[in-house]
Amino acid sequence: MNRTFLLQQVLNGLAIGSVYAIFALGYTLIFSVLRIINFTHGAIFTIGAYATYALTGSQFGINGLLAGATLPFRLPFVLALLGGSVVAALAGVIVERLAFRPLRVRGADPLLTLVSSLGVAVALVNITQYLFGAEPYSYPDPLQGLPSAVNFGTAAAPVLVRTVQVVIFGVSMVMLVLLTYLMNATRTGKALRAVAEDMTTSSLLGIDTDRLILLTFVISGFLGGVTGTLIGLSVGVAGPYFGIAFGLKGLAVIVLGGLGDIPGAVVGGLIIGLAEAFVPAQYIAYREAVPFALLFVVLLVRPQGLLGRAQVQKV
Amino acid sequence: MSLRVSVSISTIAIAVLCCAMVGLAADPPIPIGVSVAQTGPVALAGQEQVLGAQIAEEYFNKHGGVNGRPIKLIFQDGGSDEPTAINAFQNLINVAKVVGIMGPSLSQQAFAADPFAVRAKVPVIGPSNTAKGIAQIGEFVSRVSSPVAIVAPNAVKAAMEINKDLKKVAVLYAQNDAFNKSETETFQQAVKDLKLELATVQTFQTTDTDFTAQITNVLNVKPDLVIVSGLQVDGANLVKQLRDLGYKGLIVGGNGVNTAAIFPICKAKCDGILIAQAYSPAYKSKINDEFKSVYKDKQKKDPPQFSAQAFTGIQVFVEALRALDKKSPIAKMELAALRVELNKQLISGTYDTPLGEISFTTGPGMGGEIVQKQAYVAQIKMDPDGTKGTFVFVK
Amino acid sequence: MASFLATYDFLLVSMVLAAVLALTLYLPLMAGQLSVASPGFYALGGYIAAIMSTRIFPPGPGLYPVSLVLLEMAVAAVVSGVLGLAVGVPALRLRGIFLALATIAFVQILGVVALNLDVTGGAIGIFGIPQPFSSAIQYMWLAVPLLLVSMLFVARLERTRTGRALVALREDELAAASMGINPTYHKVLAFTTSAVLAGAVGAVSAHFINTWNSRQGTFDTSVNLMAFVLVGGSRTFVGPVVGGLVLTALPEALRGIAGVDVLPAWLAAFLRDGRLIIFGILIAIGTVFFPHGLITPGLLRRLGRRGARPG
Repeated sequence: MNRTFLLQQVLNGLAIGSVYAIFALGYTLIFSVLRIINFTHGAIFTIGAYATYALTGSQFGINGLLAGATLPFRLPFVLALLGGSVVAALAGVIVERLAFRPLRVRGADPLLTLVSSLGVAVALVNITQYLFGAEPYSYPDPLQGLPSAVNFGTAAAPVLVRTVQVVIFGVSMVMLVLLTYLMNATRTGKALRAVAEDMTTSSLLGIDTDRLILLTFVISGFLGGVTGTLIGLSVGVAGPYFGIAFGLKGLAVIVLGGLGDIPGAVVGGLIIGLAEAFVPAQYIAYREAVPFALLFVVLLVRPQGLLGRAQVQKV
Repeated sequence: MSLRVSVSISTIAIAVLCCAMVGLAADPPIPIGVSVAQTGPVALAGQEQVLGAQIAEEYFNKHGGVNGRPIKLIFQDGGSDEPTAINAFQNLINVAKVVGIMGPSLSQQAFAADPFAVRAKVPVIGPSNTAKGIAQIGEFVSRVSSPVAIVAPNAVKAAMEINKDLKKVAVLYAQNDAFNKSETETFQQAVKDLKLELATVQTFQTTDTDFTAQITNVLNVKPDLVIVSGLQVDGANLVKQLRDLGYKGLIVGGNGVNTAAIFPICKAKCDGILIAQAYSPAYKSKINDEFKSVYKDKQKKDPPQFSAQAFTGIQVFVEALRALDKKSPIAKMELAALRVELNKQLISGTYDTPLGEISFTTGPGMGGEIVQKQAYVAQIKMDPDGTKGTFVFVK
Repeated sequence: MASFLATYDFLLVSMVLAAVLALTLYLPLMAGQLSVASPGFYALGGYIAAIMSTRIFPPGPGLYPVSLVLLEMAVAAVVSGVLGLAVGVPALRLRGIFLALATIAFVQILGVVALNLDVTGGAIGIFGIPQPFSSAIQYMWLAVPLLLVSMLFVARLERTRTGRALVALREDELAAASMGINPTYHKVLAFTTSAVLAGAVGAVSAHFINTWNSRQGTFDTSVNLMAFVLVGGSRTFVGPVVGGLVLTALPEALRGIAGVDVLPAWLAAFLRDGRLIIFGILIAIGTVFFPHGLITPGLLRRLGRRGARPG
């Protein structure tokens, strides 16, 4: 295996991995504060992508209830991205208020919340399809002037990575830094970590747990919207189901990195990306099994993940 | 004119009018069932099929229906899974009491649901089932979706015409989709038959969006030709990423990407793809032109293959009903007998459809396997800004 | 009546088979373990039956003998049991969400393998599976006894010492272990029994659906099973059965309601095509208002008391 091929595989792995990482960040944030797996993340991701599409002034196809709908204005891509992510954050808040809060108030089992989030995800994705149809959409390309790929090698031995994937990698690193800063160096972050540790005690200490949980969903939803739009930029918005496929792999990512651990989400994502990229060419048909085989092994050997702390069982 | 003559004429006229009105009121529209994927992950294909069927309904009713009697399409969602398709078929057969069913969308659904239609002796026309063995499910199962066996080698040959030094071929296909799995077997056989070197075979999933790993493996063997068997979204993304990452050679796409729906995804990078088509919008015939113009009015782009095949399915039912009615009036037939006779009639007919001239061959224990006279290979030509494209005939 | 049966025969048998599958989720849940591995064993059982009936036993004229179907069910049950043991012993050391995730991974891996082996037919799967009956409703001869046997088994289990041990494990595993209940033994027992049952259902289903492929027995099936148990009732075996019956019928009932003429067109269209939306919302509402599901032991006791009161 020569150096160029090796470098190409590594970069491919990092590129795919950063997509998983950026998806997993929103996922793991909710787990870190609330100890629940939020399957609606994939649906909110999709809503964000669709909202951005609408905000760029583009038109929806003729299938679906809102056939041919267009917004009367059009925003440049970056503003549409932010707007779409705000819509996604709002969707996250609505889901929280309507589906999760009633369960939390009743002290429900986290497994029940998991099932509920699945139900909500199914409903949301199908509502999106009902309203907008199942066609794929594509954003007006903000990266049009730039070359399609960046060459990390030489002219003679090119090692190419698609430009949009370099952008995604950059964004995921920025998100990681911002989130880590938020959780560790701000008062809000400390409050969030207190709520994660023990919700009852935190509220007794005067922390407004309800508002902080809402904030968590806002951030997670916003992240989901950004992820959805960026991935939509890279591969087109492939229909209302395009977020769901990430949902399952996202589980493998967050467990590998450590459930609830924010840098862990990025580490897990990159490792799974690299593992997928290094599958030898003749076994490529089994590539889909790789994240889940990794998940299974990690669960048996080290369930707390790479960066998580071993869970101490209180008696 | 004498009084007696005018009274006679008026009486006759009134009598004729009354009979005509009674006739119109008496005959309810003929129900034809449509069960395709209106929900679930396959809904994109299903949507296109619904549209094709609706255009057919309007078109044929405007042109006199079945000898004066209109048809009515009854839609029951077949979903994207086998049990939903079965339940939809049961509903159409027993509740809606249709004379025939067009559907389902997937070959796997056909293997599950068609046997129920065979047991109930109801004719089924598959608009998009391309796996081997569909028509062999039973006497009442036919299909208008050509299994691509004829067209695939033509597309590869067309590529060889363009690049006379073509030697190495890389094949990629969606391993989780029956349509594409059948198609790639044909392509791979064609490559071997044409004495080319099959340098690598890579797989992906229809739900995949990132293909960098497969593309790296493909670029590594330095192929002259890449053959892609995928559906619209994954196929288009694969092509776009192939081009992004520097592949400059020829690309042949299978039936799954035979649709203008890929243009928004790969845009200018769709240019040059050679497509083995079971349907071509560029095919010149009266009915294809009319179908195309109605479709373009609604959707502002050329009709995709799925819509054309759905239109054709309904057309086969209508024309078979017309022919049958001429032989023995269907209004007088019992439903069970009508279904059986319709099945026999449709298999024996020839039809001038948007797909070209088609007919069916049959055998013991099977229904109608399509025989399609025209086979098309086209090359995509995109405008420089990447928003509009056309399929241009190659041979 | 004949027309009702002709339309709904497939649905009725599906309901019964779904009820049995729901019990396969309920069994590990009795011990407090959320395992969604049963769709994997269901898929495996289906493939075994499909391969045996299309490749191993020569096709004959007329109907396929029921005795061979029973043989396939037995083989599927045994193979699933063995695989269940092999996977269960290491995996059941995990708790709560971790076990759920491990079983999700297991089902995904099986799915990829099924797509790639020649013997399973890849994406196309195996089709033309021979029929032991001439109409769908006759499958009740297999489905109903299967359901009754499993219901009986679970009902008895709930009353024996093993059943009480499982409940003890569910309530507090550490306390139960310190009382001398071997957690691993009991959890593996529940898991393996569930695998055996799922394999048998799979074997019947392959014949029932005429075809089998990697799209049967996936994560989506797990979602449905979770809905059956968590909405139907997670504290008594009657819950999953009712959940399986009702929730399987629900999308098709909505389809039927949509066909009634008196409804306004938009509502009919929504009921027909928005089935999945309604399904999802029902699951979400169900978990909030009925956290132990609709059928709880309390409800059963109340109904029993009401029935027993002298008139």
